[in-house]
Formats: sequence, C-alpha cells, structure tokens
Amino acid sequence: MATALSSTLRSEDNVLFDRSFRTRWRIGFDRWIGRLLPLLFLVAILPILDMVYWVSVKALPTLTWTILVGQSPYASDELGVPIIGTFEIMLIATLLSVVLGLFGGVATAELLSSRAAGWMRMSANMLVGTPSVIVGFFGYFTFVLYFGWGLSLLAGAVTLSIFMTPYIFRTADLAFTSVPRTIREAALGSGASPTQYILRIATPIALPQILTGIFLAMAIGVGETAPIVLTTTAGKVAPDSLSSPVTFMTTLIWTGFNQGSNSPYFVLAFQAAFLLMVVVVALNVVVRVVAARYQKRLEGLYQ
Amino acid sequence: MSQTPVSATVGDREPLPRPSPAPSARLGRGEGDPRQSAIRLLSYLPALVPTALVVVIVIVLLRASDLQVLPGFFSSNWSPNVGVHQIPSWGIGVFVTGSFLTALPAIAFAVAIGLGIGIAGTTYLPRTVSRFLDPFVDLLAGIPSVIYGIWGFVVVGPYLGIAVNPWVAEHLSFLPGFGGGHISATGQGLPLAIFLLTLMALPITTLLIRDALRAVPKDLWESGLALGATRWEVMRRVAIPYSNRGILSAGFLGFGRAFGETVAVAMVIGGVSSFPINVFGQTNTIAALIFLNADSALVTAGLLQALAEIALILLAISLLVNILGRRLISSLVSEQIAGL
Repeated sequence: MATALSSTLRSEDNVLFDRSFRTRWRIGFDRWIGRLLPLLFLVAILPILDMVYWVSVKALPTLTWTILVGQSPYASDELGVPIIGTFEIMLIATLLSVVLGLFGGVATAELLSSRAAGWMRMSANMLVGTPSVIVGFFGYFTFVLYFGWGLSLLAGAVTLSIFMTPYIFRTADLAFTSVPRTIREAALGSGASPTQYILRIATPIALPQILTGIFLAMAIGVGETAPIVLTTTAGKVAPDSLSSPVTFMTTLIWTGFNQGSNSPYFVLAFQAAFLLMVVVVALNVVVRVVAARYQKRLEGLYQ
Repeated sequence: MSQTPVSATVGDREPLPRPSPAPSARLGRGEGDPRQSAIRLLSYLPALVPTALVVVIVIVLLRASDLQVLPGFFSSNWSPNVGVHQIPSWGIGVFVTGSFLTALPAIAFAVAIGLGIGIAGTTYLPRTVSRFLDPFVDLLAGIPSVIYGIWGFVVVGPYLGIAVNPWVAEHLSFLPGFGGGHISATGQGLPLAIFLLTLMALPITTLLIRDALRAVPKDLWESGLALGATRWEVMRRVAIPYSNRGILSAGFLGFGRAFGETVAVAMVIGGVSSFPINVFGQTNTIAALIFLNADSALVTAGLLQALAEIALILLAISLLVNILGRRLISSLVSEQIAGL
C-alpha cells in the first residue's frame, strides 16, 4: 500500500502499522466522534427553522397589505400604528445612542490613557451585561416617575438608548483602536493635529465597523421588550408628541400573548413577530456583509 | 510574523499628543492656556458615558430602595397584598431559587453543546462547512427574546406538557422530584424555561469556546499528532486544558445572560410565587418578577421599594459574573464580536 504513505497520511492510516485492539478503538473513537459531534449543530439550526416555520404559518395566511399599512385608530387588527411607533422610538433612541456612544468611543480610543480607557471599557462591558429588565426599571423609576414624563414615547426612547449605547460605544472604540498604529504614527509624524487625524484619517478607516456597530445596536434594540414595556403605554393612534403613548412591536407581541390565544391580538402578535423577525434577520445579514467587507479591507491595508 | 494581530497593539496605546502650540506663539496660546485645557477636558467627557451610566443606575436603584431591608426580605414568603392591619412579607427566596434552578441547568447544557459545536467546527468539519454552519448559531443571538417566548409557549410548550413531561415522569419516577404532583398540560414550567435559556445562552458560549479553541497554537496540535495521538486525544489532553480559561469564561458570561433573561422566561415559567412542586413545576425568577410587577408598583404600597432591592441583587449577581467572565478572557478577540 505505497500510496497510503503519500503526503495525505491521515491518523486512520496508522491501522497499517498497528492492529492492536487499543489502537483500533482509539482511531475508531476519533472517527465516530468526528461524525457525531457535528450533529450538535442541529441543536441550533432546528429551533431556528422551527421558529421561522411556525411564526410564518401563524402570521402569513392572514397578513395582508391592509393590515400592514392600515392605521385604524384602535390597534386591534392592523399594524400601521405600531410600525410608526417603532420607527419613532428607534429613530430617537438610535440618534441619542449614536451621539453618546460614538463620541464616547472616539474619546476613549484616542484621548484617554490606556489605564483610564480600560476602566471605560470595563464599564461598557458591565452595561452590556446588565439585564434589560434593570435598564427598564431604571428608566421607569427615573424618567417615568422621577422626571414625571409618564409612560411616553420620550421615556421609552431614552431608556432604549441607554440600552443601545454601550454596543455602539464598544464598536466605535474598537474601530478606532484597530486603525493600524503605523497609519496613526505616519499621520501624526507628518504634522496632522489630533483633530485632523481623527476626522480625516481614522474615521474613513473605522467607518464600516462603526456602521456595523450601529446596525447591530439597532437589531438588538428593536427586539428589546422589557425596557419598552416598562416605560411606555400602548397608544391607539400614532404618537403626535414626545409625551404621547406609543406602541412598540414587542409591546404588541407581549400584550397579544397576555390576551390569550383566543383573542384577535394573538394573531396580531404573530404577525408582529413575523415582521420583527424579518427586520432583525435582515439587519443581522447587513452586519455580516459589512463586517466581511471591512475585514477584507483591513487585510488589504496590512499587506 | 509580519502581520501583528490588531489586539496586540491595543493595550499599550498612547493617547493622542496635545496639539503643538501655534507657530506664531501669540500670548495666551501656550500650553498653560486655560481655554485649551478646558476644551481638552470637554473632549474627555463623552468617554465617561458608560461609567457614568453604571454609576447612575446603581445610585438610582439605591435611592429607590430607600436603603432599608423590608420585612421578611430574606424569607420565602412573598405576599405584598395583605389586609389593612397585617404586615406584608417581601420574601425573595422563591425567586432567587427559581433563577438558579433555571439558569444553572441551562448554562450546563449550553456549555456542553457549545463545546461539542466548537470542537466539531474547529477540528472535524472542513473550514467551508463550518463557515456555512457557524452563522446559524450566531443567529440564535439575534432573535428577540419575546419571539423565543411566544414560540416556546405556543409550539414547544404543548409538546413538552402533553408528550415529553408525562413520559419522563412515568419512566423516571424513581428519581426524587420526578414522580408525583401535577404536570401542566401547557408545558409552562422549569423544563421549558431551561430549554429556552439553553438556546439563548448557546450563541455566547459557542462563540467564546470556538475562539478559545482556535487560539490553541498550531505547534501544539502538530506535535500532538506527530506523537501519534488522534485528533480527539489532542483535543482532550492538550487543546481543552490549554483553553480552559476561555471555556470557563463562556460559562460565566452565558450564566449572566441566562440569569438576567426576562421576557422569554416570564412567558413560560408560570409566574407563581412558590417553589416548584416537582422538576416540571412552575415558579418564578428574579428578572421575571420585576418585569411582571413593575406596572402595579405604584398601586401596592412598598412594592416599588421591594422591586428596587430585588433589582439591586440581580444587578450585583450579573455584574459579578460578568466581571469574572471578562477577566478570564485574556485576548480581545471575543470582544470584537459586539453584541455579546
């Protein structure tokens, strides 16, 4: 069997030299565990497929264009009002958290000493690790009760932005710290001021990664339930001011669930869940595509 | 090694230098100019955002709790609504137990499955196949928890309650806690919550374990294989011991996630304020309790204060677990995947 000794020698081929039971057991075990372990991927894949299947089955047969855009004043069978509410909350929350997170990330990456920056990164990680219900309760106590904003659009958006900020902060920080040191030194060495370096050199390089962070924060924020349910109250019409009640997509799912499986809200909950899933998966795909492009660009930069 | 890994330069990075003084060297434009240092101080301010938020959240919760221990706080008797002349009891024992009873088994499953997926993806599957399969695991992290909850309640729950749980109860009734007692037909209870939490903790554990296993040096692999070990033997005797810190951190961070998970658990745990009657029983967790009770916090006297104290306990445990987990990760690799 001379061919087996070529460059493609694999561990199984040891059988050629050693036919003892122990060796055959070791090699067989290795081979079989290599075939069985990949089946564990099914633990992740099957639930996703099942979730997509059931949510589609429950939502799609009754989902019509009228339901999607209809803004009947009471949100019992149409999704227009919650969609507008979701957009408004997400708009305010994203703007706020982009401002806070982006400036914070840039300042941490470029201005602070590494010791101070370590503290900031640790607290950002702590914020990410904070359960969403605590952020929600904090928003409820601070904005709704203490500031007296009531259960309103503003309270919900600000609470959600607290939840989203650390994600944007961390990606911005990481994007600016991973601008190659050589580029930084070249820019500063040829006389760029810190401001010029940040705005003209580092930002274009870091931009794709920052965008990834923003999309990711949006994907996480739009699916968040606890902070929104605790700080807003469902509105029958689209909000017309910052203090009006507002319906978020996840609020709709939560209230629909609470109404029980016989109410029309329950069907609406599944329709909202379907839309939400489409949006979240789309955002995740965008994040992946942008991240992959950015990776290629960075690799090109190093060579 | 011509390509320095990005993370290697992160730790020892110098802050940007102060801008050099203007060449004209006009008066009042030098280093000691108060205006310039004020601008510099202002530009530092945004960096304080995360730290400030953590501090403010802790302070607000402390303020909301009024810094006093409520009657019966450490007991297991939660009865906020009592008659006028009786003292309500705010025992959190049931909820702390419920949180651990759901989060600990979930994280055990998640680490075990994550380890299997990590080993398969890094060692046994061709790169092209694992590159195709890995995103599915990551996608689990992207699905909103409320969708997990409603899917668990509508699809998984009845299946567990009608088919699986009675079967398990019948065949394992000799084990303590499995036999006897009522089994809910809706499936709401510990097994369903553990199932959902396992799925929700799986992406973070898989990701961290995968990272840790990939970080094992090629030299170790090759020397192990060259000595005649099979891939499994190198994995078990060399790669896993080498990356045990990463695996442990996966456990801590996944536990933090499972422990603080709110909405999905609130939908499937049953929400009763008593210990579970058997392993299929219904109970409640800390996070779900806060979520389910916050809207009546103003109606019931003292409830707001109690919820704030419970939130402080939840926050303390989550932060502790998170800090421990992050400490164990030496590289910055995992932090590049934001969202975890």
